Amino acid sequence: MVTREDVENIALLSKLFVPEEELDGLTKSMQEIIDFADTINNAPVSGDSFDDINNLSNVFREDVVVESYSTKEILENAPEQAEDHFLVRNRE
Amino acid sequence: MGSIAKIHEMLVSKQCSCTELTKSYLEEIERSNGELNAYVNITGAEALKTAEAVDKKIAMGEEIGLLEGVPMTLKDNLSTKGIETTCCSKILTGYKPIYNATVWDILAKQNAVMLGKTNMDEFAMGSSSETSYFGGAANPFNTKHVSGGSSGGVASAVGANIAAYGLGSDTGGSIRQPASFCGIVGLKPTYGSVSRYGLIAYASSLDQIGPITKTVEDASIVFDAISMQDEKDSTSKGNLGGETYSKLDKDIKGMKIGIAKEYLDGIRDDVKEAILNAAKIYESMGAKIVYFDLPELKFALPVYYIIACAEASSNLGRYDGIRYGYKTEHYSGTHDMICRTRSEGFGEEVKRRILLGTYVLSAGYYDAYYKKAQNLRGAIVNAFNGAFEKCDVMLAPTVPMTAFEMGRAVSDPIETYLTDICTVPVNIAGLPGVSVPCGFNANGMPIGMQLIGKRFGEAEILNAAYKYQQAAAENFKDTKWGVKL
Amino acid sequence: MKYELVAGFETHIELATKTKIFCSCTTQFGGAPNSHCCPVCIGLPGTLPKLNREVVNYAIKAGLAVHGEIAEIAKMDRKNYCYPDLSKAYQISQLYAPLIIGGYVELSNGRKIRLHHIHIEEDAGKLIHQHGDTYVDYNRGGVPLIEIVSEPDIRSVDEAREYVEKLQQVMRYIGISDCKMQEGSMRCDVNISVRPQGSEKLGTRTEIKNMNSINNIAKAMEYEYERQVDLIESGGKVVQETLRYDDATNTTSSMRSKEDAHDYRYFRDPDLVTIKVSREEVEEIKSELPELPADKCKRYIEELAIPEKDAQLLTKYRKISEYFDEACNGVKSPKTVSNFIIGQIFRRTETEADKEIFNVSVSPLQLNELVKLLDSGKIRNNLAKSTLEKMLDSGKGALEFISESDMGGLDENALLELCKQAVESNPKAVDDYRNGKEKAIKALVGNVMKNSRGKADASAAEAKIKELIG
Repeated sequence: MVTREDVENIALLSKLFVPEEELDGLTKSMQEIIDFADTINNAPVSGDSFDDINNLSNVFREDVVVESYSTKEILENAPEQAEDHFLVRNRE
Repeated sequence: MGSIAKIHEMLVSKQCSCTELTKSYLEEIERSNGELNAYVNITGAEALKTAEAVDKKIAMGEEIGLLEGVPMTLKDNLSTKGIETTCCSKILTGYKPIYNATVWDILAKQNAVMLGKTNMDEFAMGSSSETSYFGGAANPFNTKHVSGGSSGGVASAVGANIAAYGLGSDTGGSIRQPASFCGIVGLKPTYGSVSRYGLIAYASSLDQIGPITKTVEDASIVFDAISMQDEKDSTSKGNLGGETYSKLDKDIKGMKIGIAKEYLDGIRDDVKEAILNAAKIYESMGAKIVYFDLPELKFALPVYYIIACAEASSNLGRYDGIRYGYKTEHYSGTHDMICRTRSEGFGEEVKRRILLGTYVLSAGYYDAYYKKAQNLRGAIVNAFNGAFEKCDVMLAPTVPMTAFEMGRAVSDPIETYLTDICTVPVNIAGLPGVSVPCGFNANGMPIGMQLIGKRFGEAEILNAAYKYQQAAAENFKDTKWGVKL
Repeated sequence: MKYELVAGFETHIELATKTKIFCSCTTQFGGAPNSHCCPVCIGLPGTLPKLNREVVNYAIKAGLAVHGEIAEIAKMDRKNYCYPDLSKAYQISQLYAPLIIGGYVELSNGRKIRLHHIHIEEDAGKLIHQHGDTYVDYNRGGVPLIEIVSEPDIRSVDEAREYVEKLQQVMRYIGISDCKMQEGSMRCDVNISVRPQGSEKLGTRTEIKNMNSINNIAKAMEYEYERQVDLIESGGKVVQETLRYDDATNTTSSMRSKEDAHDYRYFRDPDLVTIKVSREEVEEIKSELPELPADKCKRYIEELAIPEKDAQLLTKYRKISEYFDEACNGVKSPKTVSNFIIGQIFRRTETEADKEIFNVSVSPLQLNELVKLLDSGKIRNNLAKSTLEKMLDSGKGALEFISESDMGGLDENALLELCKQAVESNPKAVDDYRNGKEKAIKALVGNVMKNSRGKADASAAEAKIKELIG
């Protein structure tokens, strides 16, 4: 059972606001999707759990410094910036 | 001859210059994009600049590569340096990557002429492109119908000849399904054969970039060009199956083509008929059709949604209004800013999948959903391994239906999810799959079939697809739109 | 009722690799804000991590140094939480299959603090809060860390102190981190609970986050112990929560807010592949490890007859022990070398920082020469001491200050002559000695030493004088 509290909790974890008036609708729709997902519970548990499709291992990078991007490039897309920092301005 | 080879010949023989060609594509885009909504960002100036460079090379008598100067498009989730890349989401409006996706690096080095970025479902979540922040892309066969999704814009553009080819991404069918809906070819390569670096992630263990083209040869040429091991993507292995283009047109006599009965369950009659007709054509070419059961397939769809949403919930956590993209106007405090930015910036379907993914990973549910789904994923992988002991390639419908009318998909999420039932198993098992047009329904809408190969078996399925294309050329139709080569 | 303190540590140590864990940006400390960044470490959409091989090697070294078992198969997981200093909204870490399992740190009281595991992960960026605005700098984002997770085996503040010091010491020895708590390259989270003495059951624990000095750890633990005991004594219950320690007020306070719902939703990171560590690799890394401080200390005590306290001083920093080892080469009495280091040389390297660097003007080889002169009887202790001072002042070798005539000692007759002189010129001392004042002989010996300019052997002189006046 997906409860309103469940939805509130996962919304908080997901950093999403769910307006009070949408909560019931969303709970119901989540329940439907979860019911659908629940069909896997009818499947037998097999011994072969999935790890990585190509069974790769030990893909490494050598410890060699490559020049970083310029601060200007790094900040280029920031909605707000100041003094070479990304900025979240207090709007209160 | 495919579009790419044709254009190459035109350029080399100086039938037209690359600039002229590019201009005619841009004109056709101008003319039709209002109705098709295939492109969300047209990069005419950059395209003409590249075209000019290609023309210079030709004028100097230099040799040019097959893809050089060929006008094409990229799905808007492939990072292009300095060119807005939005995933068709409000949350990435204005975002201009400071680096190139590896696939675009490869193609740009070969002077591919990018006409623009194409429409898609927001963050590749959807089956009709209608979850796009910019509205859906229309089907060139009937603009009242969807072009499919999530790479609907690429399929619409290629189907309408306003791009010679395009690159899409396929997480649960997002290349093959729109290719099927638009009557063209879409190849989802083996997981790991094409670098994902720069592809804005939806579900990392399922995502794969691949070509959407008019013909099988084109798909083969583009796949050969982009498939390589990339040091930036730890999960990439490169093209282990080797070059595919030179191996087209191999005799398929004696080839065993498998059909899993589960793939034919619950699909529309016209689609089923088209698939069985294709099987007959293969038989007439000397292939052998073998039928078998693959019961694990019935869990593929819920397994897909659990894994894809779980990974998505994590991949999409980074859109917080701090480093790039959209940021809300009014807020009090950082937490509030992040929540408002995300709530305003993401569309409904994306939020739904983030919530579902968060749910299946959260304490108390991880074992029942995510862990169980991973377990079943293992079982599905094994089931396919078993199936490929019985056959060389598998034949299946791409979609259980043809392109539906716009506006229909959004209403019921689960019904929409069912659209993906034939495409997701390939992603779950990391296999290559190519969708090829195999007929039309009574309303003239295209039907697609899917050839599924062993891992890194692109050459085999492309060869089988090519043979079919030669035998059933009438299924590869041009629409009224676009550039006539 | 008496209460026992029970504590476990989660210790984060920044690894001294050249580059970050998943990209090729430098790990250098400092730098202008956001100048050590690239698309990967600021989490631009579409970027992918690529694991730095050296991080794995360093972590294996750490594991071996604390007697941990190196896993044959390790994997990377995502720890999901959304915070502005975390550019991807998840930290790549290890939960389900960490690189190192088990291990222990042995304390001087003989107790072994067991380790649960050690895993590798990435550091977060830095937030600066100013007038309610938040400034974000990702230079530290992606710097490699190991997290050493102990069992709740610590029973006192002193043990906690020693545990942290031992970790610091051993990690510096093997050269994987500078472990500077002030700079944040070593940080501790402490889990604390209390229980009635003799009880086996663990009490409810609280976690004090991000402690950045050993003194603060001690103070915070003392405070938190008292707080929990008071709470229980007054009929209350300890609530499991995360606390922050405030240095200025010496109190802990809750970090909880409604905004951080904590459920990390760990899952295997699909962008990174399995790490496999062959036993050959482990052996190879083991063979590259220097002798560990605990082993060195034991060897000094058992083989070189160094007193335990001195052995600990010599092994506290790798540089000192290496200096000592070199200076001891071929000497008869390592204890003499040790005394010179702990005495005269330590006086010139007073702070811990100086001792750690151990930049001494006299090279170990020069000290070795001096001690060998002493060993061979060519010079006496007093002369050696004063010579060492001159050497330390100038950085020159012993032979610059000792002439031929200083060396070679005194023959029997010369010694006898000097002894006779001493007896004759000090009748009072002779009387005192004869009246049972044993100590009076020292004055006579001193006289001989003085007149021989340090060349006489003190014990031989004493024997001779006793013969003369006894």
